[in-house]
Amino acid sequence: MKFAVRLSILGTVFVVMFLVVGLRLWFVQVAEGPAIARAAEEQTWIQKTTYAPRGDIYDRNGVLLVTSRMVPAVMIDRTFVRPEEREELITRLSALLSIDADELDAIYEEEGVNARFQVATVSSDLAYQINEQLDVLPGVEIAQVPERVYLSGPTLAHVIGHLGLPDEVDVEENPDIDRNLRIGRLGVESSYDRFLQGTSGILEYRVRRGEIIDQRPPLEPVPGDSLELTIDLELQQLVELALEDGIALSNAVKEANHEDGEPAFTVTEKAAAVVLDPNTFEILALASVPDFDPQLFAAGIHAETYADLNEREALFNRAIGGRYPPASTFKAITYTVIEEENLPFPERDDVDTANRLVNCDGKFILPDLTDGSQQVKRDWYDGRFSFGWLDIHGALQNSCNKFFWAAGLGAYLALDGTARETVMQDWAADLGYGSATGIDLGGEIDGTIPSRAEFERRAEIQRENPDAGLLHPSRLEEGGAIWQGGDLMDFAIGQGTFEATPLQVAVSYAVLANGGRVMEPRVVSRVIDSSGDTVQEISSPNVRTVPITSATRLSLLSDLGRVVSSGTARAAFGEFGDGLDQIGGKTGTAEISGNKDPHAWFVGVAPLDNPQYIVVVLVEEGGSGGRIAAPVARHILQYLMGNEPTPIVEGEEAD
Amino acid sequence: MTVLTRIGEVAVVRRDNKFDRILFATMLALSGFGLLMIYSATRDSGTFSMERQMIFVAAGLIIYLVASNIDYREYRGIIPGIVVVTLLLLLAVFAFDPVNSVNRWIPLGFFNLQPAEFAKVVVIVVLASHLAPSSRDELRPRTMSWQKVLQAVVIVAIPAALVYMQPDLGTTLVFGFILFAMLFVSGSTWRQLVSLLAALVLGVLAVLQLGLLTGYQIDRLRVLFDSNIDPQGIGYQLRQSKNAIGSGQLFGKGLFREGTLTDFNYVPEQENDFIFTAVGEQLGLIGGLLVLAAFGIIVWRLLVISANSRDRFGALIAAGVAAMVMFHVFINIGMTIGVMPVTGLPLPFLSQGGSFYMSMALALGIANSVWLMKTPVPGENQLT
Repeated sequence: MKFAVRLSILGTVFVVMFLVVGLRLWFVQVAEGPAIARAAEEQTWIQKTTYAPRGDIYDRNGVLLVTSRMVPAVMIDRTFVRPEEREELITRLSALLSIDADELDAIYEEEGVNARFQVATVSSDLAYQINEQLDVLPGVEIAQVPERVYLSGPTLAHVIGHLGLPDEVDVEENPDIDRNLRIGRLGVESSYDRFLQGTSGILEYRVRRGEIIDQRPPLEPVPGDSLELTIDLELQQLVELALEDGIALSNAVKEANHEDGEPAFTVTEKAAAVVLDPNTFEILALASVPDFDPQLFAAGIHAETYADLNEREALFNRAIGGRYPPASTFKAITYTVIEEENLPFPERDDVDTANRLVNCDGKFILPDLTDGSQQVKRDWYDGRFSFGWLDIHGALQNSCNKFFWAAGLGAYLALDGTARETVMQDWAADLGYGSATGIDLGGEIDGTIPSRAEFERRAEIQRENPDAGLLHPSRLEEGGAIWQGGDLMDFAIGQGTFEATPLQVAVSYAVLANGGRVMEPRVVSRVIDSSGDTVQEISSPNVRTVPITSATRLSLLSDLGRVVSSGTARAAFGEFGDGLDQIGGKTGTAEISGNKDPHAWFVGVAPLDNPQYIVVVLVEEGGSGGRIAAPVARHILQYLMGNEPTPIVEGEEAD
Repeated sequence: MTVLTRIGEVAVVRRDNKFDRILFATMLALSGFGLLMIYSATRDSGTFSMERQMIFVAAGLIIYLVASNIDYREYRGIIPGIVVVTLLLLLAVFAFDPVNSVNRWIPLGFFNLQPAEFAKVVVIVVLASHLAPSSRDELRPRTMSWQKVLQAVVIVAIPAALVYMQPDLGTTLVFGFILFAMLFVSGSTWRQLVSLLAALVLGVLAVLQLGLLTGYQIDRLRVLFDSNIDPQGIGYQLRQSKNAIGSGQLFGKGLFREGTLTDFNYVPEQENDFIFTAVGEQLGLIGGLLVLAAFGIIVWRLLVISANSRDRFGALIAAGVAAMVMFHVFINIGMTIGVMPVTGLPLPFLSQGGSFYMSMALALGIANSVWLMKTPVPGENQLT
């Protein structure tokens, strides 16, 4: 090829390059031009957000719990900062606000060109001081921004929740989210965020060379709606203090036992309580220990503080998110199933099937269920005393495991493999176990009801992954049974792999107490707008009705009364005072695997004639229910029934 | 120096040959227009950008005239010296504190010298010398040898590597484009060019794999395909520049109009790499096409000079300069309208910048010298 030809080819390539640029230019300026021009014109308008104060939160008696106040904040509007002024501005501001200059510069950079952003909220003194120096602080202004104020401190923290800036997940869900605007996290701050938030206002103007040259009429922010809770603040405070006292009591008892030579495994530090109205399903109090101060989050929380809260699981609402075997508190449910379904009892020496009596002598010898060998299940009073022959009433009153084991075994032998084999589990599910109650708070869990189907599902997983540890390996071996009679027996006394939340326990008792109506629990009763008008009544929908005969209900309530008057909670309720005959309850002591103390449970019902309150107390790894949890519940019930609450002292070991 | 002593002599001998007036006039027109646009983009910023640029334009014109009057063939004798000085200057930038975390400049007090700009011209001259036969009697094979191609690669790679380390990806790419254009016109085979290109692609992939490209360089490529990357940084710059140019539409919003994106300072670097956005917004498609046409004329003149050169050395110089100008225009305008990545290459004669303006003037001056020398004087032999 000649040089001239090569040069011509190069020239042709150049012509093509010019054509590419020219055509693209035509496309951008003529084909797309008008649309781009409109967007560009709109873009010279700067939009600034003015934030609305979040709605207030009141308790059921109108006591203000959470509000928003306007506080001065230092804002920077980059539109008004010339590039050459930036460094000096950062230096001055970092000195005034005691913020590291590099950190401030990084924030400034990240916010981007023409951004207006909040640097920090400041005291009014400092705001005044900065206001005096505005001529040397280009782009800086003092704005009034809403800040959340939690008047009740850590009280009710888990129900109220806290605020936080949107994270990546929130942005993914809603790409239009305002990343500067704090949103609710946990509690009603989160679940009612759409009401509380209000609507941000918009300020639009054009700026040229640091001066506003044009302005549009501003869109004023609309304050958020307020919430009225079903919670009674005074009761809530009493419940939280009672839980703290219960924890202290548990530790004192462990200490004393330890000195007596008994092993003490753990330090008690966690507890939860629920007070529920069984007629309306309104939550009157809901507490979880340890707790936190939502105020820490109001202006952004320090990483170390947050890490510490997480370390202590302080943000975890164990009343609706904790998994605990309901233990003997579940006997009230088994009791109802026995009565309603006329469950058969097994033919044994220590069972009188005709009169439905069981010899509560402390030992239950299992027949050759699986491998032919005999197993002995020991009741909690084994080796200390014997109750002798008990009917269902005495068995509930004294929390006799053996009676309910017998019922479980009877049901297994008679019904296993039939359509009715899950009759006990079905009742539990109907009463609210195994699925979230639907309370208007986030973070609720379903819990687990053990059944053949559930165990088959676990076996499936474990066959895939032998290290899953969901079932004892022997169950998966040749000749082993995945679902066994012992499992149903454990279920009958609320043990085994049964998992429930304190709220589910409260709901199940509420349904038993109100005659079978299942509703979704609520912590908010109404939404009110800023002028005080009701925006929305929050009522609990009636989910379903469980058929419970009046006879069973009355019999159960009366037996729950015998638990506190002469049964396992007798000692704890000794000093109750007037009206003890209107109190019912059930103790529970949940055995857990590993070297840990059992969880202490107590469920109270009052008044028995016409139940108004269900009180559930759980002290995690607290010890015996009758000894630790019952006194705490007694203290709360004393308050609810108008008695002077007496100090929380040790009850009697039971279950 | 022999070079200087011969200026007068050459001027006398060549007085019958005329300046390439079209080339000079177009360059002058673009320079004047560039000053106008720099003024428009910075008039209220208080930085005296246009005034500074006027000084550089004046200096550039002097350089152009001097270079025009030096017989370009003289450079062949002093290539080792030029190369050593250039490499030393390219190394010297690393001795000074980085500005915005890049080492590109040698501060001279009154202005900052950017050696990479001049290195482009030096590489063109050295490559031309390497690829052109050294005398009429040199045996010329039908095809270029692989040895010659690889030597050319080394000549470009050394300064290109130093520039890449500054880092300055854009200028590194200019070196590559010049190499390919000059190899092609000087007779390398397609196979050689394709092999070289393949090696380059593999090299780039290796660089990416080894993470030698910095984050911002990768982002500048990715942002072309996804403007959501870094919406406040390059994405912002790209979007704003496209918005400004697009909103100019056919006739533009008019020079110095208030309320334009340029007026609002919405386009970062609108007096430097993004000067074309001011042109596009204020003068529309008409203005933009006129600017493109002006560059078209310059490139056309350079190719004409190349075709009419008395020897292969001059022809290659002119072709190299044409490639350099073409690449700058293509990449720069391409990036402002979103068809090319933001590589930070300025627009010849329009963008603000001293070293860049002067090196461009030098390149055109040398090309003009090729034009002035095109007619052999009696007794001289033309080598084609």
